[in-house]
Amino acid sequence: MKPIAILLAVTMLFLFTVSVCASPTDPAAAGRCMTCHKEKTPGLYKQWYESQHASHKVTCMDCHGAEKGEADAFMHEGGLIATLVTPRDCGKCHTREAEEVGSSYHATAGHILESNDAYLAHVAAGEPVSILGCESCHGSKVIIDANSPNKLSRKSWPNSGIGRLNPDGSQGSCNTCHTRHTFSQAQARQPEACSKCHLGPDHPQKEVYEESKHGNAYYTNINKMNLDDDAWVVGIDYYEAPTCATCHMSATQNMKVTHDVGERISWTLRPPVSRNKDNWQTKRKSMKDVCSACHGATFAGGHFYQFDAVVKLYNEKFAKPAGQMMKIIKENKLLENPAAFSNKIEWIYWELWHHEGRRARHGAAMMGPDYTWWHGMYDVAQHFYFKMLPEARKFKNKELDNYIDNLLVNDPMHSWMLTETAKLKKDIRSGKMQEVYQKFFDQN
Amino acid sequence: MFERYKNFIHGVSGNAAGLWGVVLTTTSFVGFILFEVARLSGILTNTYVGLVTYMLFPALFIIGLLLILIGWRRLKKQSGRTTAELMKQRFGDNQTKAALFGSKVFTTIIILTLVNILFIVAAGSRMMAFMDEPVFCGTACHSVMNPEWVTYQASPHSRVKCVECHVGEGADALFDSKLNGLWQMVSVTFDLLERPIPTPVHQLRPARETCEKCHWPDKFYGSRLKRIERFKKDEASSVMFTTLNLKVNGGSLSQKGGIHWHVAGENEVRYASVDDKRNEMIWVDVRQDDGSFRRYTNKTISDAESNHEDSRILDCVDCHNRATHIYENPGYAVDERISRGILNRSLPYLKREGLKAVSADYPDKESAMRGIDNQLRGFYRNNYPDISRKQGDIIDSAVLVFQSIYSRNIHPEMNIEWGTYASLIGHIGDGGCFRCHNSNLVDDAGNTISDDCTLCHSILAYGSESSFKFIQPADSTDPNFEMHKYLRDEFIKSAGL
Repeated sequence: MKPIAILLAVTMLFLFTVSVCASPTDPAAAGRCMTCHKEKTPGLYKQWYESQHASHKVTCMDCHGAEKGEADAFMHEGGLIATLVTPRDCGKCHTREAEEVGSSYHATAGHILESNDAYLAHVAAGEPVSILGCESCHGSKVIIDANSPNKLSRKSWPNSGIGRLNPDGSQGSCNTCHTRHTFSQAQARQPEACSKCHLGPDHPQKEVYEESKHGNAYYTNINKMNLDDDAWVVGIDYYEAPTCATCHMSATQNMKVTHDVGERISWTLRPPVSRNKDNWQTKRKSMKDVCSACHGATFAGGHFYQFDAVVKLYNEKFAKPAGQMMKIIKENKLLENPAAFSNKIEWIYWELWHHEGRRARHGAAMMGPDYTWWHGMYDVAQHFYFKMLPEARKFKNKELDNYIDNLLVNDPMHSWMLTETAKLKKDIRSGKMQEVYQKFFDQN
Repeated sequence: MFERYKNFIHGVSGNAAGLWGVVLTTTSFVGFILFEVARLSGILTNTYVGLVTYMLFPALFIIGLLLILIGWRRLKKQSGRTTAELMKQRFGDNQTKAALFGSKVFTTIIILTLVNILFIVAAGSRMMAFMDEPVFCGTACHSVMNPEWVTYQASPHSRVKCVECHVGEGADALFDSKLNGLWQMVSVTFDLLERPIPTPVHQLRPARETCEKCHWPDKFYGSRLKRIERFKKDEASSVMFTTLNLKVNGGSLSQKGGIHWHVAGENEVRYASVDDKRNEMIWVDVRQDDGSFRRYTNKTISDAESNHEDSRILDCVDCHNRATHIYENPGYAVDERISRGILNRSLPYLKREGLKAVSADYPDKESAMRGIDNQLRGFYRNNYPDISRKQGDIIDSAVLVFQSIYSRNIHPEMNIEWGTYASLIGHIGDGGCFRCHNSNLVDDAGNTISDDCTLCHSILAYGSESSFKFIQPADSTDPNFEMHKYLRDEFIKSAGL
């Protein structure tokens, strides 16, 4: 194709995009909105005024304008609007981003009501906690209430969880990360954007990041991060440190920015037993591409070599045996109370994988030594040996006892418990102990 | 004649009570005459002197007369003599000898009584007149009424006497007000009052009768241009303009009016509010053409709460609740002084620092004066030593202005702080107009009372850098383009241009 034809095509495409995105509604309507909201909600107005949206003439009705028939549409000061702005609305202009978000793991977070997490909050605490504790991160189904001023049920609004189930069928909420009404990319690129949810005893990504050299370098050089830059290519536009967004989403010299946060993640570290994700080799390659902006291939490769071994160690030494014990307990109907989480051993097992088990794995994934060991695998081991095993022994079940005895006697990873300290120390010094764990490196 | 008077007063001052009575009547009589002559001749100009001349002296005079009477009775009782015997003893035979018009004592008493009556009537009428003077209302109960006195003096009604609004016409109103005043005297004496004093919404005179002596609805026509200057908290205290074309007209039968529609012609609005603060409405009624009322009910208030019998017909003071005793908002007070040019904003961060100084918490007035002084001088000394040295006089005068803002609005002795007596005119937050014009009040059909900004005013500038920004054509690259265009079109349309 000749350059002139390309130019023409690009111009046509641009004009088309502008005509689609430019406000389809009566400009007077937005003028009215602003007049009143500048007085009534001056903060909201000022955030918008400073935003990229304002400088690109994206005004109130472009996002909040609703069409007849939409479930959450209501009349407000003579205009049909909707409070809720969904990824579908944002996608009118940000098409690619909306698609990526829609197919990401983030977008599925609202299905939490089916998961154990939500069960536990509902039974052990109660609905108010489920709403503010679980759903404000995960998002929940937006319920329409005809009596509510904005048609949204107060139990499901506010609702800015990342996997919000919207009345228009879309999933997710862009302002989870791009906080309204500034929708700043700089803000979404900072670790704090993620750490509203990714923190705490069960998934301390924020704490691990802060412990790591990456976090250390970021907080030292926060002013050099060039966070407002449009392209924000790591190694080019900034180079002092990566943030969460850098590794999981942002552009490199070889990759475009993605709004599918799972695209560079090779393991799922969430479930009781970790497994590689589909196409994990491609995803691993993508992540290594990010590393390569600052690190040599051997250095980056070395990290994954060490990290993978920790995950496998956790899987094989603790997660699978603990899971097997729970299976035997359930098959033999040993639990006293009928409800899930109504028996002590269920809480022990839960914390073993959901809390410390994840801490160890996340610590290893993101170079947080203390989270890998003291907050991580140390706690896993203590839970396993001195909470889970004694609790399991209480059932006095033959099959279960046999399983535990076999583990402690015949599994070289666990037989240390019945061995003399002096011999163990000797084995460590001689390297014999390490040979037991060599398999976790060999498989890589 | 003087000899006769001397003889008489010698006669009545037979004991301590009589003596004191004579001293009090004589000194207060002479004092009154002297003070009044001094005032009339312009020697005494102090406004408080009326308190002495018209309140203290007449009071002492009457007390003195009473004492003389008491003294005489006591004398009679103690001596056990008859009146005739006692009189002979006290005044001598010469004075009590019968004559054509009675004895000399008798004629003296008649003359003195006439003088007394004359004096009491004269002083009494002067006293009543003086009690109609603002200075009496403002200073007689000094500690309690001082905040109202201070704010009144700074208000647009400072040339209107208190009694013109607070006391109605006729004997009834006069009697009511004196009775009320008596109770106030008791409550001040025995400290029975609340601090701050709640606005006495039920004791106020009917506003329409009072206010409409000068401001009557037919007078509210056209619109009123209001240009407000606000200043940012930046180094230059940069100016921002908000210019409103207030649609204040009352309208006519054929034409729907503006803001004064509420009180114009046959229109009637009545409401019930949650409490006497009148901030939250339970319902609002609007009279329709056929005489029936359309009711807008507050859907956020449950029935149990809305069991409120009192309703009220909206009048002037429902919006103009602080037409005279105006307590300012600290930010607006500072802006107003800068706007009037009595604060010089060449001083860096004048608005920010001044506002900080006047709105801080101080235990009493003295520490406030000191605190404001310290805050400003300290700020310039530490951050702008050059200005502090060379422009000390500008800082001095700024300090005085900020201190006066504080003194006008804050009265620690009466627990009056910023915002104690909020104004209902216009709207700050959800107050003022938005008490009724909001989406919570709905009629049977679900309609609300419009809270559209341009219902009451066109907006010609809105926190803008120039005062008539929106009259200019809108600039399409400005983020505010749509608002600008909307407001410009609205003004052109509503002004009929």
